[in-house]
Amino acid sequence: MAGRGGAQRPNGATQGKICQFKLVLLGESAVGKSSLVLRFVKGQFHEYQESTIGAAFLTQTVCLDDTTVKFEIWDTAGQERYHSLAPMYYRGAQAAIVVYDITSQDTFGRAKTWVKELQRQASPNIVIALAGNKADLANKRMVEYEEAQAYAEENSLLFMETSAKTAMNVNDIFLAIAKKLPKSDAGNANQQRQQGVRLNNEQTQPSESGCCK
Amino acid sequence: MSQECILSGMLSVTGKKVLHMDRNPYYGGESASLTPLDLVFKHFGKEPPKGDDVYGRGRDWNVDIIPKFLMANGQLVQLLISTGVTRYLEFKSVEGSYVYKRDGKIHKVPADEKEALASSLMGMFEKRRFRKFLQFVQEFDENDPAKWQGVDPNAMPAYKLYEKFSLDENTQDVTGHALALYLNDKYMNNPCKELISRCKLYSDSLSRYGKSPYLYPLYGLGELPQGFARQVAIYGGTYMLDKPNLKIRYDEQGKVVGVEDDKGDMARCDVLVCDPTYVPEKCKSIGKVVRAICILDHPIPNTKDAPSVQIIIPQNQVNRKDDIYVCVVSNTHQVCPKGFYLAIVSTTVETSSPEQELKPGLDLLGPILEKFVSVSDLYEPDDDGKESRVFITKSYDATTHFETTCIDVLQTYRRITGENFDPSKIQRQSEDGCQQEQQEQ
Repeated sequence: MAGRGGAQRPNGATQGKICQFKLVLLGESAVGKSSLVLRFVKGQFHEYQESTIGAAFLTQTVCLDDTTVKFEIWDTAGQERYHSLAPMYYRGAQAAIVVYDITSQDTFGRAKTWVKELQRQASPNIVIALAGNKADLANKRMVEYEEAQAYAEENSLLFMETSAKTAMNVNDIFLAIAKKLPKSDAGNANQQRQQGVRLNNEQTQPSESGCCK
Repeated sequence: MSQECILSGMLSVTGKKVLHMDRNPYYGGESASLTPLDLVFKHFGKEPPKGDDVYGRGRDWNVDIIPKFLMANGQLVQLLISTGVTRYLEFKSVEGSYVYKRDGKIHKVPADEKEALASSLMGMFEKRRFRKFLQFVQEFDENDPAKWQGVDPNAMPAYKLYEKFSLDENTQDVTGHALALYLNDKYMNNPCKELISRCKLYSDSLSRYGKSPYLYPLYGLGELPQGFARQVAIYGGTYMLDKPNLKIRYDEQGKVVGVEDDKGDMARCDVLVCDPTYVPEKCKSIGKVVRAICILDHPIPNTKDAPSVQIIIPQNQVNRKDDIYVCVVSNTHQVCPKGFYLAIVSTTVETSSPEQELKPGLDLLGPILEKFVSVSDLYEPDDDGKESRVFITKSYDATTHFETTCIDVLQTYRRITGENFDPSKIQRQSEDGCQQEQQEQ
């Protein structure tokens, strides 16, 4: 699979509205969070992806009919390692992908903890997807598909097994999230993000990070 | 702790490897915003209200322990921009800045000439003199003696500058305390250069966003250390929270070699940066600050229902040596549920009954639902770090902005690295893959 289907990418001018959403990644270290983002945003994969540094957040868009969904994707920058993710990380997130490694039962257990953490800390309307990554390593599988699916259903999560290496289901999981996100501008968590000012060197305008301008 | 977070940020963006350990399970130490509300009660040794939701949802509260605003054109804003941390934050302008007068009333500090002319703060002739003074300050250029109008900024004391413009005592109070934000009157005999530049900072900050020169981050001050922490993590720094009982280890010469946690694991380092609470033996107390955090269910009387204000009570007006400050924020800053207001009243302690000293400030608030009073020691390092390589920041002083904090941060950075912080040396990461920074907007 080539990585990205053309149909999901905005080519040239886009019609319709643009919605921007903050999406956060969660999961144990080394389950492939950054690799999923790198595959989704750049169509790349590195076998020996280093622990995440350098990415404040990356952006990528997905096209749905007349709407362009723009993801502002936040990676943990390693702050999950010593349980030091700050509340700021979850703040204003409208979507989350909780990642585990299908070859490790431990990481699945941790994923469940992250889901609980999101239900406690994040906005109540957050769309959560569970990604069983490293699906290309099926011969080392320790977490059964059915087990994860049953858990996801119980908790109303989107669920897919993914492979950042082969690109399996990577775009699909982002697309599924995009479909599930509310695209109307009223009453959702975006509103919170429209009221402040951002600082910059020149002058400051009201933030335009909200949905559907 | 916020100084340490800022320093971590500055050090990591200029290429140092940083490990950040904190005894608390949250970021920012004293500059954290406590959440949920129960944690605030526990922090001050009070029993949280049971069962009923008198105070709404606990997690909607983000309660600052220290009262601070950012000057819109101040040094912290510059640091936020130069380190890139600003991308994680949103701010709101503080609505109003007020000053207290002997008559017991509060008056709006004029935001522009029109307000100045309409202000009830001073009489007609005084207003004209005040305007002349403000014009002088605005046009003042340190490098252009032609504009000095006979004022030598390095020699003329501040009180002489007031005399030159014939400003009365009342106007001097407003200028020195509500504009130049001096804590007391010790500046009067110092060269007027600083007074001028402080007044300039006030008016430059005011002109940036309008209603007041102050900014406040949405979700509370605790966002600042979190933002710096995230930036450090992005530059490869490691964070460990919830590490109580850290022990600092030294070699025979007294130079730091590392920090040991309660399991006996040692993190080695060449340089240690910390606040005074981690090394009380290397610090001296230079005074105390008393603060009262108050929960209200109404805006501050006589502020036109402003959702955020600062009120300065100049020392002279209440026969004290140090000013009293009132800082108010509310639901529009995402620090409490709708209908609530958070006010912090603070001052430098002068007597043996510190809470009593806050009375003029508390009296301005109207009925108070809950009050958390604390007295904190102000510490200063007694060790410059030259030998020990332990660099200690100062405690937060009584000022209600971050200017003195930033001076401390910049000086500490210089003590550590031997050079001034140079934002142009920040390593912009643009390598392959995820190392790319992509900033939108």
